[in-house]
Amino acid sequence: MSPSPRIAITGSGAVCGAGLRPAAILDAILEGRSAVGPIGYWDASDWPVRVAAQINGIKDQVLVDDRKLHKSISRTDLFGIYAGDEAIRSAGFPALRDTLPETGVPLFNDRSGLVVGSGGGSYQVNYDFFPLLHSSKGDMTAFGRDLASSVHPMWLLRILPNNVLCHVGIRNQFKGTNACITNQCASGALAVAEAAASLRIGEADRIVAIGHDAPIEPESVLGYHRLGLLSSDAVRPFDARRDGTLFGEGAAALALEPLESALARQAPVLGQFLGSGTVSEASGIVQLQPDGDGPTRAIRLALADAGISPEEVGMIVAHGNGTPNSDASEAAAILRVFGHQVPPVTAFKWAIGHTLAAAGTLDAALVLECLARDVVPGIPTLREVDPAFATLPVSCDHQRPRSDIALIICRGFGGMNVALLVRRNTPS
Amino acid sequence: MRIAITGIGLVTPVGNDRESTWSSLLEGRPGPGPITTFDASGFTTRIGAEVKGFDFEGMAPRKLLKQASRCHRFALAAAGEALSDAGIRPDPATAHRWGLSVGAGMMSISVEELDVVRQYCAPEGSFDATRMAASEYPVDPVYFCRTQCNAGLALLAHHFGIRGYSSAVHTACASGGQAIGTALKVMRRGLVDRMLVGGFDSMLNPIGLSSFCLLGALSTDNDEPWRASRPFDVTRNGFVLGEGAGFLVLERWEDALARGAEIYAELAGDGNSLSCYRITDSPPDGDGPIQAIRQSLASAGLGPEDIDYVNAHGTSTQMNDQSECAALKVVLGERLPEVSVSSTKGCMGHLIAAAGAVEAAVCALAIRDGIAPVSANFKTPDPGNESLNMVTGTSHRLRIRAALSNSLGFGGSNSCLTFRQP
Repeated sequence: MSPSPRIAITGSGAVCGAGLRPAAILDAILEGRSAVGPIGYWDASDWPVRVAAQINGIKDQVLVDDRKLHKSISRTDLFGIYAGDEAIRSAGFPALRDTLPETGVPLFNDRSGLVVGSGGGSYQVNYDFFPLLHSSKGDMTAFGRDLASSVHPMWLLRILPNNVLCHVGIRNQFKGTNACITNQCASGALAVAEAAASLRIGEADRIVAIGHDAPIEPESVLGYHRLGLLSSDAVRPFDARRDGTLFGEGAAALALEPLESALARQAPVLGQFLGSGTVSEASGIVQLQPDGDGPTRAIRLALADAGISPEEVGMIVAHGNGTPNSDASEAAAILRVFGHQVPPVTAFKWAIGHTLAAAGTLDAALVLECLARDVVPGIPTLREVDPAFATLPVSCDHQRPRSDIALIICRGFGGMNVALLVRRNTPS
Repeated sequence: MRIAITGIGLVTPVGNDRESTWSSLLEGRPGPGPITTFDASGFTTRIGAEVKGFDFEGMAPRKLLKQASRCHRFALAAAGEALSDAGIRPDPATAHRWGLSVGAGMMSISVEELDVVRQYCAPEGSFDATRMAASEYPVDPVYFCRTQCNAGLALLAHHFGIRGYSSAVHTACASGGQAIGTALKVMRRGLVDRMLVGGFDSMLNPIGLSSFCLLGALSTDNDEPWRASRPFDVTRNGFVLGEGAGFLVLERWEDALARGAEIYAELAGDGNSLSCYRITDSPPDGDGPIQAIRQSLASAGLGPEDIDYVNAHGTSTQMNDQSECAALKVVLGERLPEVSVSSTKGCMGHLIAAAGAVEAAVCALAIRDGIAPVSANFKTPDPGNESLNMVTGTSHRLRIRAALSNSLGFGGSNSCLTFRQP
């Protein structure tokens, strides 16, 4: 068997409260600008949590030009389709296809794959049934009888968890291997890991990994709040006074292909995917192992997959969601794996909020920008590192990566943990 | 690397375990009937393929069951049966070398739970968020946890103690097949030694039924539920909504042999494509499914000449069945008349995200027993599809060297799995 190919990242796209491109988002982060602001989707003035990192002031058409499509998809889908299209465009795939003879196009399309990490669903889509529930007054016969005159006939299609997969596919004719991962906050990182795994075994010639989510809705905010997971004002990763996370929304996408083919077509190589590790803590829906068992094993698996040692890692983008338990167990894991040689650590959720299923993909798209600019962004909300893990090298000031390799940690409900390793492109 | 299927568990509309489901399918005993779990008398479709007489008590700790929705409970039961059948379970020493891959149903909210939200927050029909933040609004953290998109995955990992690779996929009706395809790749990558893999779904509730009634996708043969699902028959008029779960235990061939495990079949190949056509429509010429079937054969190292049986997606909608026939014609070519084809949805109805996993189990059982299950209710083919060798009348004795299972979903995802005789 031939050795598995090295995987290049040749395109990216991202949208979140801090901007419409990975570079612009990182600019905001480096300038210490947080996108956290008042929730505008409903009147939250009496709510215990009144802030989130919303995407404001961007017209739907700026994200997706096809206005007809807007009616048949959800807001999260707009973000995902935008990011996916951006990654495909910036990787130059449509231009590459245009150079092919007509007979070569079907094979190109069949060898182009998509892996999407999706938030899976929302509560408020079900509120479309409220008028019907109200008028039928608990009478199910009336509910069934009046259904068609009360709820939109295409209701189901607007809420399909795999809408982004479907529509990015149709828009770009990416007809090859595909998946839609619905593993809560781990979805976005898993999408990148699975895309790379498929390329390694030659299932496709190029795959775009997308993560998208739009969790800022009343029932989700309230649910997280009642579980004690939300802050009232700011995300303070690894700070002694951290008191929860805050929602963000958005999407990101990476275009991946074998390094050889990227170099052959002289594509702009942003970086390389090196390896991934995925584990469960088997701890239930929201519980975490306090000792960091999950992230520890995920990081070690990713290092083994990449064939590198901990000392070679130059920076870490932690999950750092600012909740007391998640940050403590994550810090424990990082200290356990890296010992006395922990590279600079940062996290982005103070600026862009926790975008749930999009988080891992967004972090991956942003870390490539960090490596290109040779910077580990500081965390402005950090005042005092929690004494429980005082040696963790996080800072409110910018740091420098100690090598061109970055680790991304992504965690989610269900005790899910994914670690990704990427490398900046170094001119050969 | 060869992957063995050594355990199977099923909860379906035609049986609450593996062998009762299998004997029902062989006899062509129909699962659909009038909907009994709620008053469906006002709906255009009042029939469904319900899981019947299923006893949730005692299958898992009460606290865990409280967090489990109806389809999660099916999953816990089917997964438990699969592990018992395989005769091996994760333990603290092996937990990190066990993986989990599931095709999970969409987030589903019961109409009762939704009505609680409405009563507090939309007493006049339109939603008022201020009312939700009021102190008297009853927030139920258990309901919140249960409705997270990976709740089923989390409960399975927790209950069975699986700590290796774990993931959930949702590509509508292709979910179960794609979850098994993912598991095959994870095994071949060597990430884990054994995997629990399957699918689970239940949309047989007022909201789920509404969603498909609105689309006009369901059969409205309310007076003849037993023959409402008739895949590939020229008179077919929509699918019958089912529910349930199917799980398999996968392990490396040599590991299975070394411990003397009974091997049902080899999970030999996985193919996967996206139709990129329209969100609910299937391309009439089979483009999309064709690539998935071909890729699956290539992944198994087999050709059309090796296939003896196809468990079709066969939903009993006009469009799916036409598209799938076209694909089978193209891929199987001259072999078409010799390959037995059936859709077990004629008996079971359509289990949506669970369908691909349950039908993978059906293929493994068909190979074990050398029987192709009957395509219930099939009488007359579409003009032009007469060359399709449907399993009609009764189930047929057949040596099955290799079988295919198709799952084609809304959104255009297509999955094809290949199974081989051990």
